[in-house]
Amino acid sequence: MASRIGIVVLIVGLAFAVPVFAHHGAASFDVGKSVTVTGTVTEYVWTNPHVLVKVDAKDDSGAVKQWVLEAWNPVTQAGRGWSKNTFKAGDVVSLDITPAKNEQPVGEIRGKIVINGKEFVQKPAAF
Amino acid sequence: MSKRLVVVLLAVMAAMFSAHVGAQDEKWNNIPPTRAAYRNWKPSGVAPKRDLTGIWDTVQTLGVSGILEHPALFAGGRGQEGGREDETGIEHPLPYTPAGLAALKKNKPSGPGVRQVDSVLTNDPAGKCDPLGFPYMFTWEFRTINVVQTPRQVVMLSPFYGNYRVVWTDGRKPPSDPDPRYNGYSVGHWVDDYTFVIETTGMLAKTWLDHAGRPHSEQLKVEETFHRVSADAIEFSMTFTDPVMYTEPVQATNKLILHKLPDDFDIPELLCSPSEFADYNNQVASPVLRDGSKK
Repeated sequence: MASRIGIVVLIVGLAFAVPVFAHHGAASFDVGKSVTVTGTVTEYVWTNPHVLVKVDAKDDSGAVKQWVLEAWNPVTQAGRGWSKNTFKAGDVVSLDITPAKNEQPVGEIRGKIVINGKEFVQKPAAF
Repeated sequence: MSKRLVVVLLAVMAAMFSAHVGAQDEKWNNIPPTRAAYRNWKPSGVAPKRDLTGIWDTVQTLGVSGILEHPALFAGGRGQEGGREDETGIEHPLPYTPAGLAALKKNKPSGPGVRQVDSVLTNDPAGKCDPLGFPYMFTWEFRTINVVQTPRQVVMLSPFYGNYRVVWTDGRKPPSDPDPRYNGYSVGHWVDDYTFVIETTGMLAKTWLDHAGRPHSEQLKVEETFHRVSADAIEFSMTFTDPVMYTEPVQATNKLILHKLPDDFDIPELLCSPSEFADYNNQVASPVLRDGSKK
């Protein structure tokens, strides 16, 4: 499995041209792009203002990058079926994210979530 | 007692304990229904007279940019990525005075909208966990409020950012020369058995009108109407008057539906902690700043 850890970049183009994910601080993220980050959870932070999932993932050259991936606040995430127990350190995950425009390893979790080989199906967003 | 019976008994006890914990926890941190849940909703039940008591929810203000009647967006909901200096071209413009326009440009919102900036560059009071004050607390992610009526007051409690309001209903007049404060000074009265009107004055000018960075002066006056249309709904309207910043009154919400939730609904807390926000800025907002020289 370790050899499969990596990052797959998918350009989704303008699929998100109509704002469906109005998010605090979204100006810094490239909403027209989706990246799949696959790696190992190092920390799960269930707190305000935004829930964070930190993931160590290897890039194409094999170097490990620590990604900081954010969701919404705990209340909104609870509405989508998340809890303080959704992730734990050591989980192998694959997360579709919207990456930062400046290419730092930071992103917003949006789309498919796979935890230890099993898809985590979210409830619809509240809005 | 056979080993098998012991195992079965233990399993049954574990299941009972687990079910008990589950039922117990269902009473706490309740999540309101989604917008989709109200798609075919119609008001129902006879409205009680002169009564706003209860847990009220609207999901309509989640994820929007500024006041509902004037979102800081172009037609079709476009422009949320921000970057503009002013709001030229938005679908429902505000009637700024020259002073209002100048004040708008000083406010740097991080919420979605045509003037959005990277969140580390915002001067939004919410980004520092400063008190939102009124009306910002009701124009941004209104979410769920708990309304309590006493013989002299209507109290509104919002676990979002820990906001509260006290609306006096004892017949007092608004202060003539108020010392401005975050939540202002609110007086309310029943126009008829189903229509409660609140007038609020004396808000601190440094607070924002909404999450899109709209300004106000200390001349701001806010009128709200809570119209109890049924047992399960209130129509909520809000109008701003501020001759310093706006050439005419501005309608913020127009008959926004507040849905009644069960009386035992436990609203989850959603507080702003300065230290948690600083951690977030260090880990997310600062690294994603597009132009590092602006740090």
